[in-house]
Amino acid sequence: MRQQLLLATAMTLLLLNGCSQKTPNMGNVSDSSQISGDTVSIDESGYGNESGNYNSSSDGFKSVYFKFDDYEISSEMQENMNTNISVAMSASAKVKIEGNCDEFGTDEYNYALGLKRAKAVKDSLSAQGVDSSKMVLVSLGESSPVCGDPAESCYERNRRVDIRLVK
Amino acid sequence: MKHLLLSLLFVNLFTSTLLAVDASLKIEKDVEQRARIAVVDGSSNEDSRVFSIFLSDLKISGHFLPDTTHHVGDVKSNFIVPALKSQEYIIKYTMSQQGRTSLFVRLIKASDGVELFKKSYAIPSSQKMPFLVHKAVSDINKVLGYPDISWINRYVVYAVYTTPGRSEIRLADYTFNYKKTIIKGGLNLFPKWADAKQRSVYYTSFRGVVPTLYKLNIYNGTKQKIISSEGMMVCSDVSKDGSKLLLTMAPEGQADIFELNLASRAKKRVTNFKGIDVNGRYVEDESRIVFVSNRLGYANVFKKSINSAATSQVVYHGRNNNACDAYGDKIVYTSRESSNAFGGNTFNLYLASSTSSDTRPLTTTGANQFPRFSADGSVILYLKQRAGSTSIGYTNLTSYQSLLFPFTDRKVQAIDW
Repeated sequence: MRQQLLLATAMTLLLLNGCSQKTPNMGNVSDSSQISGDTVSIDESGYGNESGNYNSSSDGFKSVYFKFDDYEISSEMQENMNTNISVAMSASAKVKIEGNCDEFGTDEYNYALGLKRAKAVKDSLSAQGVDSSKMVLVSLGESSPVCGDPAESCYERNRRVDIRLVK
Repeated sequence: MKHLLLSLLFVNLFTSTLLAVDASLKIEKDVEQRARIAVVDGSSNEDSRVFSIFLSDLKISGHFLPDTTHHVGDVKSNFIVPALKSQEYIIKYTMSQQGRTSLFVRLIKASDGVELFKKSYAIPSSQKMPFLVHKAVSDINKVLGYPDISWINRYVVYAVYTTPGRSEIRLADYTFNYKKTIIKGGLNLFPKWADAKQRSVYYTSFRGVVPTLYKLNIYNGTKQKIISSEGMMVCSDVSKDGSKLLLTMAPEGQADIFELNLASRAKKRVTNFKGIDVNGRYVEDESRIVFVSNRLGYANVFKKSINSAATSQVVYHGRNNNACDAYGDKIVYTSRESSNAFGGNTFNLYLASSTSSDTRPLTTTGANQFPRFSADGSVILYLKQRAGSTSIGYTNLTSYQSLLFPFTDRKVQAIDW
């Protein structure tokens, strides 16, 4: 009786295995655990703690981001500024500091706001010992967005100062 | 004493009522003063675009009430069909756009068929067809003795962003039926007419390390470097005789307004503020300017004499008035009225004065920006964005007529007229 039970179980398993070999399951989502759990949503719009994620500067510099209608360098940007101080100190060419804005200003005022941001970065670099005569400012206003989607996460990437060497 | 007070109260009440009645009467009177006019197309190939430009010109003039029906008929005949007898005037025209573009117009008195005016206009480029219509309507307006509307013959110059870091400077007629790119490649912004005859434009080039102001003759392509400045370089206004410029510059990294004498090359600092001073415009006799500053902590319109330091606030309304234009003592400014930073993006236009506290709204819906006075100060051009569409708007300050034309270009950076 026991042998018959073992034989029947073995036959059933073989049969099941045979069936499963015919099923094209390669790459299929057959495990319900893969669809029952919710997927994650991550927010990469924050530039504060993740401050190296976005960068439209070049030559080793890091972009500095600003709040709406604001031109003060926030404490969250200090890490980027530390990098910029170190790169600027050792730069052999002139350093170009470009102020940028989101699309919500008009005419000249927006360009002036971009300039204030660039000036804030220049003053900060200068206070840390970077030679002022080595730096040149330009405001690009809203002319050079790095992101074009109509969303705040996008606008805040455009409110920035980019730094690069004059070549 | 009591009698005196009662008398004063009575006079005051009477005057207020009279003025209120006057205001409403004025509008009715204006409507009555406009001449009823019909336009009859005698072209072999009828073009609805030509007819609609005639209508726009007649409407925005503020002097005509045009019949909106596209009538067709013989241009040479003086016979007036009964349906048009109720009009005061009839314009008959033929437009030919084969080879060179030519327009023939006749102005006829509807009551008796008497010809008041006739003229032929021709131009080599068919793209410039709208200008023929504008010229004909401004001539007809002049023949009838109405106040000048030659501003409809002028070019609009404007800059649009094409891609990030790239722009084009274009010309258009006021209806934007005619458009032509005059500067492409690179980043060239803030176009401003250099002279009353619109032969040259100033613009800022970002080609070099620092922004540089150039003057371009739009007829022969001659380009002249004017001045450059670290940070910002914008030609905000040109004096009436073209001899002086109001510039926004930032030689020390702070945006301030300077006046440049083109003959002597003398540069005078007009504002000196550690915040933002931009958008200088000559007002009154050009010894004073209005400008936009954040000296009270938000963008607003201020006024000062070019030769003294005293600055006074001009606008006591709104919390974000970030652009303005001026003509004589008239000021038009943009006021941001959204409830939050990225909310409805409501910008409205207001008309104010540099010599009084009068302010009146010109728009009430949408985002209305880039206001610019016409060359005679009678009409204001602006860009209107509403419900996902963009238009170029015109408001006639005398007749209260407003017109919108579809605007299909990409994002506008600046406009001058």
